[in-house]
Amino acid sequence: MWLADKYIDHVKEQTAAHPGESWDQMLLGFKLNKLRTKLLPKKGISKGYQKLEAMMMSFVADSLGRPDSYVWGNIFSPCEIIGCFGLSTLSIECLSCYFSGYHLEDFFIDYAQNTGIAPTLCSYHKTFVGAIDSGAVPVPEYAVTTSLSCDGNLNTFRYLEKKKGVPFTFLDVPYRDDEPSVDYLVEQLKEFAAELERRCGKAFDEEKLREAIRIENETRRELMRFFRLQSERYYPGELISHLYMMMGMHLLIGTQEFLDLIRFMIKDIENYPKFDGKKILWIHLLPFYQETLQSYFNSNRKYQIIASDIIMDSMEEMDAAKPFHALAKKIIRNLYNGSYSHKAEMVGHLADTLRPDAVIQFCHWGCKQSSGGSLLLKEKMQDMGIPMLILDGDGIDRRNSHDGQIKTRLEAFLEMLESGEDGETEKEEAAHREQKIC
Amino acid sequence: MLGYICKYAPVEVFEAMGVQMERIEPDVTNFNQAEIRMHPNICSFAKGVLEAVMDGAYEGVILTTCCDSIRRLYDVLREEFPDKFIYMLDTPRITKDAGITLYEQRIRAMIREYEEFSGKSFDEEKFCGYLKEIEEGQQYAVKENAVNIGIIGARANDSIKKILAERGANIAFDLTCTGLGRKILADEKNVMAGYARGLLSQFPCMRMEQAANRDELIRRCAGSVDGIIYHTVQFCDNYAYEYAWLKDWLDRPMLLLETDYTRQSGGQVRTRIEAFLEALTPETRRPDIQRKGDGTMYVMGIDSGSTSTNAVIMDQDRKIKAFSVVRTGAKSGVSADRVLHEVLEKAGLAREDISWIVSTGYGRVSIEFADENVTEISCHGKGAHYFNPKIRTILDIGGQDSKAIRLNENGEVKDFVMNDKCAAGTGRFLEMIARTLEVSLDELGAIALTSKEKIEITSMCSVFAESEVISLIASNKEKADIADGVCHAIANKASGLLRRVGLEPDFMMTGGVAKNPGVVRAVEEKIGAKLYICNEPEIVGATGAAVYALEKYRSR
Repeated sequence: MWLADKYIDHVKEQTAAHPGESWDQMLLGFKLNKLRTKLLPKKGISKGYQKLEAMMMSFVADSLGRPDSYVWGNIFSPCEIIGCFGLSTLSIECLSCYFSGYHLEDFFIDYAQNTGIAPTLCSYHKTFVGAIDSGAVPVPEYAVTTSLSCDGNLNTFRYLEKKKGVPFTFLDVPYRDDEPSVDYLVEQLKEFAAELERRCGKAFDEEKLREAIRIENETRRELMRFFRLQSERYYPGELISHLYMMMGMHLLIGTQEFLDLIRFMIKDIENYPKFDGKKILWIHLLPFYQETLQSYFNSNRKYQIIASDIIMDSMEEMDAAKPFHALAKKIIRNLYNGSYSHKAEMVGHLADTLRPDAVIQFCHWGCKQSSGGSLLLKEKMQDMGIPMLILDGDGIDRRNSHDGQIKTRLEAFLEMLESGEDGETEKEEAAHREQKIC
Repeated sequence: MLGYICKYAPVEVFEAMGVQMERIEPDVTNFNQAEIRMHPNICSFAKGVLEAVMDGAYEGVILTTCCDSIRRLYDVLREEFPDKFIYMLDTPRITKDAGITLYEQRIRAMIREYEEFSGKSFDEEKFCGYLKEIEEGQQYAVKENAVNIGIIGARANDSIKKILAERGANIAFDLTCTGLGRKILADEKNVMAGYARGLLSQFPCMRMEQAANRDELIRRCAGSVDGIIYHTVQFCDNYAYEYAWLKDWLDRPMLLLETDYTRQSGGQVRTRIEAFLEALTPETRRPDIQRKGDGTMYVMGIDSGSTSTNAVIMDQDRKIKAFSVVRTGAKSGVSADRVLHEVLEKAGLAREDISWIVSTGYGRVSIEFADENVTEISCHGKGAHYFNPKIRTILDIGGQDSKAIRLNENGEVKDFVMNDKCAAGTGRFLEMIARTLEVSLDELGAIALTSKEKIEITSMCSVFAESEVISLIASNKEKADIADGVCHAIANKASGLLRRVGLEPDFMMTGGVAKNPGVVRAVEEKIGAKLYICNEPEIVGATGAAVYALEKYRSR
């Protein structure tokens, strides 16, 4: 590991000194990490999560290694349509996380802020803008973004189109969930497929899309099964494992490879012991680098994250016979779209199914759409009798997460959960106290 | 009465039904309600609207899906006021036919819901008649013999315009969503579709797909003005993208001005705007009155900062006769009187011997004996140029803010950025840390130079950084190493500011923190260049003010 750390430091220094001249080294690092996750998987986590990590490392390293094989997207871009053309979707949020593997997020964020980008913008977007604008990372031929789930999407892609000449398709996702909205988005999705036809010089095969949607339905069912099992069994993973799962559910959904992995995990989890600790339903992003959260949730027999809303943000069966309509409905009904009561309802559904002991929402710096409703979700969870903790920090920029504060809040909350077992009255009192301090 | 906030809101639909419509322009002193009901990191405008609606007598509010913060504002208002007409109008970002069709449907659905809510009814013919009667709104224009300013960016409240008017500047255009006249199309054959088309074809805001078209209009408008104020709202990030893009190619001086919709930030907004106007019009100001000296002519500059109040007396040959630095007390006026007395004594002069006094700094307007006031940004420019004409970039770290200023070869300000939103990267921050480390402020810089181990202070917020320092003390780290880490944290902030104005050498550092060798070394390392520091870095602003006074006297 010492060697890996040295390499990371070296790439960081090189990039900061001469952005644009270190890309080959960054790419080599991704490829080496791909090999490492295959040959020497991380110890202490379950086989399923090892395989998931290896799959995600391969996905990114292979795509970046072949510049004509991918388009940039955001996490909600319809990868199913893009996949029909044999292309991968590399989401800018995930790429930012990968760049932070070289601890470059601070350099990129400062770079973006120094050009005038707002310091209060989401750090994922700032990292990405800095990475591209500084010239450290090469650009692809084409990109796509949805307006879901935040304002940053359109603006980041438009900025990079102007600055770096990467053309993009913008998919405007309406707020309301009704027929006119679906029709409006269907037309845009069809136009997007037509644009890909023009760009790739390949005809669009609707049957491929139908097949992807059939696999997607099956994957979602299987994943829900896995979540139920994960709430019963101790299945060691890390904070980052949930981010990998979110990546898979958004960028590889509809592929047989990813469905096979979920099926493997369902089988594999049967080999693990019963879990009798506290089950946590996680809301929004996970700061994978954060020491205190790592110490409590990385392979911990007392506390296990059993699911997250960022992984299961769409829940209903899709109609493969009308694939564009199915995709439009999926995007419009995503829990990040529409009102917060829609989100609260879907989180409530997840909680009903998985029966967590507690909910933790991580309010990521700059994410207004998520943070802005956190207090409403807390009320909903309280109505359901589920204690909820709100943590503030940053999913990627270490400088915006304060360990002392996170530690105090988290430990007080966990103490409260533990003491709740002694008696209901105490639990209520603690919850009342918690409401005041969190 | 219904409140609304967005230029895309179909205001006329309601007005034609006899409903009074009011655009909500929050003017609040705090976000007490918003802090309870929303997260603190939400756009200040949205928080302000929440406060206004909680206080106001609106029967409802028409919101549009303009941004993430407003979407969440809707959720909170719905929850708070279940009996009011809190409506979220889904507004397309695409202005092609598909968008217009959808918007028409949305407006019709809204009308139905409002009819049900209010018992009023909507008459399309009456609506069409109403549209025809609407006259075009106020138009701005370029004026001769005035400084012409254009405003671009996020919605701006009237305080900016008031300050501009007070300083005699003309607003030649206002392209923010609150400054443009509405675009109303009255199409008799297809009233609602025409109306929706008109609304969506207004000058696009940053949420719209076709916002790329903004560039062309901005380019054309900008050509006619002397300078541009680019306005953003705190925690609204959309417009900063455009600022970052425009500043690469727009050939006009541009001030990035962030406001937070509270009255508290008024002083800072004023300093920025005034400094910008001063930079645009260095030669237009003329004195009215002068006093006579007794042979030699003397002027005075006085800089009322948050930490110290400094005064400089200069003679007609630009020589400094005397200077004085006193600690600013609770009342800036009292400290100013003290420094006046002290500096006169040092110079052996009486008040009557001083021909002209220019005040600067945060307390500049409270100094009654000054003949005029000039912002500390312009004064630091002049002062730096006085001490070393080669200086092109100044880093000024004072007690409560830090700034980077770019100068031209005449010492005139060409660009500046300020950090005054938080204590991080300021003198106050150093004081706080020195207290925590139990060393004096002077020692802090000196011991930093003896550091052996590199410690990184990662927190950007001064409060967090303080507790990070406490943790480091708890883990037995050496004071010298912690002090060095803190100096580097300040240097990181400072280098960000310097980069934003262009990093043109030579560099100078001013303000009290320039006396801290630890910070100076860290900044030099960070930018890879030497900092010029004059013997008394605290008096650069006051010296600049004195130079202003001298120029004023000479231009009689």
